[in-house]
Amino acid sequence: MDSVLRAAAIYLALMVLFKIAGRRSLAELTTFDLVLLMVIGEATQQALLGDDFSLTNALLVIATLIAIDIGLSLIKQRSRWFSRLLDGGPTIVVENGQLLHERLKRARLDEGDILEAARSAQGIVEIRQIKFAILERNGKLSVIPYE
Amino acid sequence: MARPDHSDLHNRHYPVEEDMALQRRVWRFERIGWYALLLLIGLSLAGLFSKGPLSNAQARSADGHLWVEYQRFMRNGASDALIIHLQGKPGKPLEVAIEGELLNGFNVEMLQPQPLKASTAGEGVRLWALSDTDGRAALHVTLRSDGVGRFATRVTSTNGASVQFSQFIYP
Repeated sequence: MDSVLRAAAIYLALMVLFKIAGRRSLAELTTFDLVLLMVIGEATQQALLGDDFSLTNALLVIATLIAIDIGLSLIKQRSRWFSRLLDGGPTIVVENGQLLHERLKRARLDEGDILEAARSAQGIVEIRQIKFAILERNGKLSVIPYE
Repeated sequence: MARPDHSDLHNRHYPVEEDMALQRRVWRFERIGWYALLLLIGLSLAGLFSKGPLSNAQARSADGHLWVEYQRFMRNGASDALIIHLQGKPGKPLEVAIEGELLNGFNVEMLQPQPLKASTAGEGVRLWALSDTDGRAALHVTLRSDGVGRFATRVTSTNGASVQFSQFIYP
């Protein structure tokens, strides 16, 4: 019983924590972010398994995690509202060469982040060459240049 | 949600359909979440989740001959110390009984110094420790939390002194 409860509690807690962190936080993985993710994994592992290192426990925990994941994706498929709530929607942050400052501020982004994405994806070096920059649901920045 | 004044926050329909009302709620959730995390860190530094000023506690009997240092909050699977101080006659064995839910909620991992004798006493245990030349004795008990919830314990010495305390174990 406690394997299922542990897995469900950890799933829920991690989901809330990563929602608080925002979509952007771990989207562009730096070396340090990778290390941070591994440390989070380590910290989670003990709570997931407790002091029971049996094969059965591991399988129960994994089965529960996957079942919750499938369950949520099924609900998302049926309810657009739920899907929006969990995954959010895309947000435009540059429009016709203009930065939308209020949005950037709330999304904890700055001009540098957008220029970085523009350089690496499109070879663009100035904001005014950008028609649209969109912060996607997965935290990546899509950059669309002027024709 | 009221329509925002700033045009940056109005919905766009091209190239993607936006729902800025929802997005602003998401941003607000992130902001509130950030404060909640700070609060959580503050509270755990203060000891709400074991080991800190809020958690360290002492229970003392009315005559002062028996006092117990314990943690108000403990965590399932973690171990912590419980110290029972006794005051009696120099060089004489002191008898103390631990009753209540302590043995249900915790595993006793270590007991130092080793008691002279130990016996069961109802649901609890009875221990005899030898006092030093000043008549003092201290029993250090290392407990590993096993249960979840609130556990009330009563420690009694034969000279009538008794203390009661309760501990909460987080899952």
